[in-house]
Amino acid sequence: MLQPKRVKYRKAHKGRRKGSAQAGNTPAFGDYALQALESAWLTGEQIEAARRAITRYIRRGGKVWIRVFPDKPVTKKPAETRMGSGKGAPDHWVAVVKPGRILFELAGVGEKTAKEAIRLASHKLPISTRFVVRETTGAGVQPKELT
Amino acid sequence: MEDLKLKATPRNVLGKKTRFLRRQGITPVHLYGHNVKSLALQCDTDELEHLIAQAGRTRLISLEIDSDRPRTVFVREIQRHPINHELLHVDFYQVKKGEKILVDVPIVLVGEAPAMKGKGRMLVHGITSLSIECLPGSVPPQIEVDLSQLEEVEQAIHVRDITLGPEVTVRNDPEQLVVKVSQAVVKEAVEEAVPEAVEEVEAEVEAKAEAEAPAEEETPEPPAAES
Repeated sequence: MLQPKRVKYRKAHKGRRKGSAQAGNTPAFGDYALQALESAWLTGEQIEAARRAITRYIRRGGKVWIRVFPDKPVTKKPAETRMGSGKGAPDHWVAVVKPGRILFELAGVGEKTAKEAIRLASHKLPISTRFVVRETTGAGVQPKELT
Repeated sequence: MEDLKLKATPRNVLGKKTRFLRRQGITPVHLYGHNVKSLALQCDTDELEHLIAQAGRTRLISLEIDSDRPRTVFVREIQRHPINHELLHVDFYQVKKGEKILVDVPIVLVGEAPAMKGKGRMLVHGITSLSIECLPGSVPPQIEVDLSQLEEVEQAIHVRDITLGPEVTVRNDPEQLVVKVSQAVVKEAVEEAVPEAVEEVEAEVEAKAEAEAPAEEETPEPPAAES
C-alpha cells in the first residue's frame, strides 16, 4: 500500500479542501489521464485498488503513472471510547485531492483501451472523475492512434 | 498554408476585474517580445479558440491591433481553467525578422513500426516536443518521426536521428529518447508480493514512532459506572 516511509509528525490537522487543484491539474507524463472532479481524501487502499484495475486491464503494454500520494495521516479513536483524552491513534493515510487534480496517467496504449481502464479505475474511487487526453501544442497536431 | 489573422483591441480592464470580460465572451491577452513594449489586449473568445486550434504554438499569426500595422506573433502560452477548460489568458510573442527564436515544436509519430507486430510489444514514448532555434519564418508546424524504421525490439529513435533543415538548430540533448519499441514485462506475480513488504515497513515506522513519543500514547478510559 502507498504510504510514507518516515514522517516528521505522526498526526496531522484536518485541514480544509476548498478551491480547485492549482498544481498537478494537467497530464504531464502520459497521453491519457484520470482527473478528479470533486474534492476528497483518497486512502492508500483506494489508490491501490484503482491502480490495480488499470494494470490488470491493460495487462502487458502501457505505462501507468500515479500522480497522487497518500502522505496525510488520519487518526481514529478506538470503538466504544468516550470522547476527549486527546487525539486518536494513526489509522490510515490519505491523499488530499481537489477538483481538477490528475490522479493517474497512461501511455503506450490506444485510446479505447485507456478509456476502459480509466473507467474501471474510476469505480474504485469515492469521487466523480473524467477521462482526459493530453493537449497537443502544435498546429493541427493529432495524437497518434495506437491499436 | 493560409495566413492566420486575429483582431485585438487595447485593454483597460486589468487584474481580477478581467473575470467580467470573460463573462462577456472576451479573453484577456498579452503581447510582448524582445525590445517590444508589453501590451494588454483583449480578443473575442470564439475567434481566439478557433485560431489556437489552427495555429498551435508553431504558426505565425498576423495580429491587428485597432488600425495599427499588423504584428507578426506566435502563441507563447495558453492558460485554461483546470476543470472546465475555458480559455483564461493567452500570451503572444512578437517576433522580429532576422532574429532567431527558441520554440518547442511537437513531435508527431507517423507510419507503422514493423517491430510492433509481435505479441506484447509496446511503444515507449520519450520526449513529446523538440526545442529548436531558428528564424521565425522557418519554424516547422510539427516534426514528423517515421516509425517504419523500427524493425526490431529494443530499437529506438533518438533526437540525433531526427534530421531537420540546415537553418534549424536542435537544443535538446542528442541522446534523448523519442520513441522505442520494447517488450512488455508482465508483473502480476510481483504485484501480489509488494503489499506485504509495505506492511512490514509500516509496522517498523509505527514502532519507532511510538518509542519516540511515549507521552502521546493515551490509555483507554475505563467505562464509567452507570447509575
